[in-house]
Amino acid sequence: MKELIFSPADFVAVFNQTLELAYPVVAIQGELTNFRVSRNRWVYFNVKDELASIKFFGSVYQLPGPLQDGLKLRVVGTPRLHPQFGFSITFQSIQPVGEGAIKKAADFLRAKLEAEGLFAPERKRPLPEIPRRIGLITAANSAACADFIKILNERWGGVEVILADVLVQGMEAPAAIVGALDHFEQISPLVDVLVITRGGGSAEDLVAFNDERVVRAVAGSRTPTLVAIGHELDISLAELAADQRASTPTNAAQIVVPDRRHIIIQLDNVGSILQKFLMDTIGTIQTDLTGGRKYLTSQVFSSLDQAKHSMEASRKLINVFDPRAALKRGYAIVKKGRDHVKSVRQVVKGDNLGVELSDGKIKVVAE
Amino acid sequence: MAKETKRDYQTMNAKLAEIIEWFESDKVNLGEAVEKYEQALALIAEIEKYLKTAENKIKKITTRFQGPSLEKEE
Repeated sequence: MKELIFSPADFVAVFNQTLELAYPVVAIQGELTNFRVSRNRWVYFNVKDELASIKFFGSVYQLPGPLQDGLKLRVVGTPRLHPQFGFSITFQSIQPVGEGAIKKAADFLRAKLEAEGLFAPERKRPLPEIPRRIGLITAANSAACADFIKILNERWGGVEVILADVLVQGMEAPAAIVGALDHFEQISPLVDVLVITRGGGSAEDLVAFNDERVVRAVAGSRTPTLVAIGHELDISLAELAADQRASTPTNAAQIVVPDRRHIIIQLDNVGSILQKFLMDTIGTIQTDLTGGRKYLTSQVFSSLDQAKHSMEASRKLINVFDPRAALKRGYAIVKKGRDHVKSVRQVVKGDNLGVELSDGKIKVVAE
Repeated sequence: MAKETKRDYQTMNAKLAEIIEWFESDKVNLGEAVEKYEQALALIAEIEKYLKTAENKIKKITTRFQGPSLEKEE
């Protein structure tokens, strides 16, 4: 075989071409070591097993969350020989592998985001009572999507559902979910509520919902969010960051719209209540009329009473001045002719006088 | 005659709520009360009809969602 002699630059070019043809993208699983972040932007680490260690390089934007040496990871990337820095794999996505690592990574991220206040109850916004437009982020052909739409249709009508079909598991899922969330941030007008849902699965299936990029995008959404991941055990961080969580896609539909049957029953009740209001209105008017009549009658009686009292008082006063009352007490009226005798000086001896007593008159002669 | 704009649940329900509020206030005017009551009954019938017939529309976005393209090392 003829010996090939390359210049270093040519060798790098040929090597990369060969790699690109044979292994354009590789997934490598192992233990994370030498993890470091440079200038808050570039990420370097190795993934190793007992026999080998491979260098990785990439940007912080591709990280699923805070990582620590010792975690078991699956990393997808493009192998490449750099002209100066040697061989490395430029990673595109990282996912913790195995329940222990997934839980550990989620715990790191949870602590970090909790410290930032991302899950604080005061950040939660209420969902609209009845949305007109719902943004639905899920896998379009999944049972979760079918369940959500089935229950939505059963419960309510007149809603426009804008469906963003995304991968909800696998290495590409976080970027897809973030892409869909970004899309709903751009549309005008915004939808009334965003529902992000998938059915249950293993910890590994659900790992996208513990990815920092997804969790931050959910927390940062301008539209209120409802995240429903069908699983029983740990709540994902995306659910914690959402304004509301639901246990399953069906539960999400139950939360997001009311049941039309309940509303129809309520409407019937409203009809009865309004009828009562109307009857009350009529009743109030009747009561007012009756009240008015009673008032007028009482006013008339009161005036009559007053007049009666006033007459009685006058009568008593007149009685006091009645001279006959004095006669009854033993006094007498003395008259000389037609004049009342008020003084002895009016009388001379021999005058004929009339004396009026209470029960009659007598004539006397003055001596 | 121009066709009436299609009414949605929220608009009709808001009108019904206004009428209920009117009845709950202290205004007592029999003529107006009867008129409002009739309006409310018509609205209730309309809302019930809407709830029984309205259908949801599902619109799938054609965009394929994926992550941002990988930044190249400089």
